[in-house]
Amino acid sequence: MELISLIATLMVATFIGFNVLYIVLGKFDKLSFSEAVFISFALGLGTISLEMLIFYLLGLTFSVPVILIPWTILVTINVYRHMKYGDGFTFSERSTIPKEKNRALSIFLTCGITLEVAYAFFRALIKPIEAYDAVAIYAIKSKIFFLAKAIPQNYFPGLVHGFPHPDYPLNIPLSETFLYLAMRNLNDQLVKLIFPLFFVGILCILYFAIRRFASRAYALLFTFLLASIPMFNAYAANAYQELPLAFYYFASAIFLFAWIKEKKDLHILGLSAVLVALAGWTKNEGMLYCVINASIVLFVSVLARKDTSWKVTIAPVMYVFIIALILAPWIWVKQRFGIVNDEINLFNLNPVYLFKQLYKMGPILYEFQKQLFGPKKWILLWPIAIYAAIFHSRKIFAPEQRYISISLILAFCGYVLFYMVSYVDVVFFTSKTWGRFMLHFLPLVVLWLAHMLKEDIKI
Amino acid sequence: MSLKMWYKDKIHRHCEGRRPEAILKILFIVWVVLWIGFLARELFVKNNIRDYKNLLTRTLEGKHSYVTGDRLYDFLTYCKTTMPENSAYNIIGMDEGALESRKAVYYLYPNVKTADPDFIIDISQYTIKRVEE
Repeated sequence: MELISLIATLMVATFIGFNVLYIVLGKFDKLSFSEAVFISFALGLGTISLEMLIFYLLGLTFSVPVILIPWTILVTINVYRHMKYGDGFTFSERSTIPKEKNRALSIFLTCGITLEVAYAFFRALIKPIEAYDAVAIYAIKSKIFFLAKAIPQNYFPGLVHGFPHPDYPLNIPLSETFLYLAMRNLNDQLVKLIFPLFFVGILCILYFAIRRFASRAYALLFTFLLASIPMFNAYAANAYQELPLAFYYFASAIFLFAWIKEKKDLHILGLSAVLVALAGWTKNEGMLYCVINASIVLFVSVLARKDTSWKVTIAPVMYVFIIALILAPWIWVKQRFGIVNDEINLFNLNPVYLFKQLYKMGPILYEFQKQLFGPKKWILLWPIAIYAAIFHSRKIFAPEQRYISISLILAFCGYVLFYMVSYVDVVFFTSKTWGRFMLHFLPLVVLWLAHMLKEDIKI
Repeated sequence: MSLKMWYKDKIHRHCEGRRPEAILKILFIVWVVLWIGFLARELFVKNNIRDYKNLLTRTLEGKHSYVTGDRLYDFLTYCKTTMPENSAYNIIGMDEGALESRKAVYYLYPNVKTADPDFIIDISQYTIKRVEE
């Protein structure tokens, strides 16, 4: 019964997300149906959890009907809009790139992906939440919210300080709370279903992103490579926030790059801004990606300054405005109650302080190379990426993957900066977090590889 | 010779002399072998298959007990029934940052861990004591 309630609630959340997607995009001709479903799922959870934070600000308590009622307004607007202006739900057409000749390889890759997906669901659902951060930081918060049927009014002023990392965003804890409310039970085993769904969502978006420029077998190959990375699969099952963050960032980056191609459709850029803001609402590291994406939008707009179109001029302002609007309630709560990060102080981002921290570069790079050459976690992904970077160095900044490369370089530099300004012992911190940080941009690395090796692999 | 010239001379010439597709084919085969090897290692060498087998037949409560350790979970259940709801406790006998301590805080909520407790829980000795006024 609980499983049925959970699945039904996830479908309702996806439907809400679909409405958010529709109001932002207006049409779906740039998306395949499966992409739309997974983006709707992530948008649904992200916006419902934001709504629950606003309930706290309004002093309201949680119940599933009360949470869902405000969304009927959006659904009504969308139904009206669709009936008046809509041209039907037309999803993107099938890729014009012909199917491959290599049928056996496609079957093998499909079987491999299916096995990894099934294993991720099995691993997630065989046991309740038990991994360290998942229990200590996130599950305890969702338990507090579920038992109180609200974010208790004494939570931010006092209660939150009794648990580690009070400043961590609440997207996933509140999403878990919503699902507990739907199941009417604190079933911390079934609630883990959302994590492999994010895993499948990333695979789906990657597949269709590659399919737009390559054959089916080629897209399957890189989807398989990502799915089979042990570290990636493990984090699909342990209720950590790495894959939800990776999903939001990856999807936002895909739409950002799609906008950069033509610089016409502000709806696509708007969707990218919404998704990257939800990355910031999922983990603090998401703020880094907000900055990276906004910087790229600004950079592209400056480069295209000869283009006098108002759509290009307004793009960076719109992008930052959407991010600020979505994150405003959370930032306000943190400011209001003086909730700060106990590991990193961004006021340390000044040249003098950074110069003094240069000694940290050794341990940071040492741990990074340990990750690069550690096959147990990543198989051969990073050696292949190094191969591609060396033997195709001219392609790194070629138009097709220029902004992917820039995003990856900025993400790497951003994490190095995190380590530099952190109070935590750098050896301990890097050994615990480098691998997890790399998961955040891993799907983008695989997409980058797919672009880089396009001419080397003829399938 | 400048670094750029050296790079062009060695690396690109080296690359042109090879068939990248053949190299990538070999890498893919090695990838698949490693993938199967690590999958098998996780299931059989790390013995996760035993955990999965044990977990399959358990109820949610039984699974909580299994992943926490049966003895600790029984003790925490006992603590929860012993303490009146919403009472305060503190944990001794274990580092605050230890996973067992974090799990205790999770399972014992809505009882809250504070520095001014009604109960002292010694996780290492599996004892719970009321604090005398």
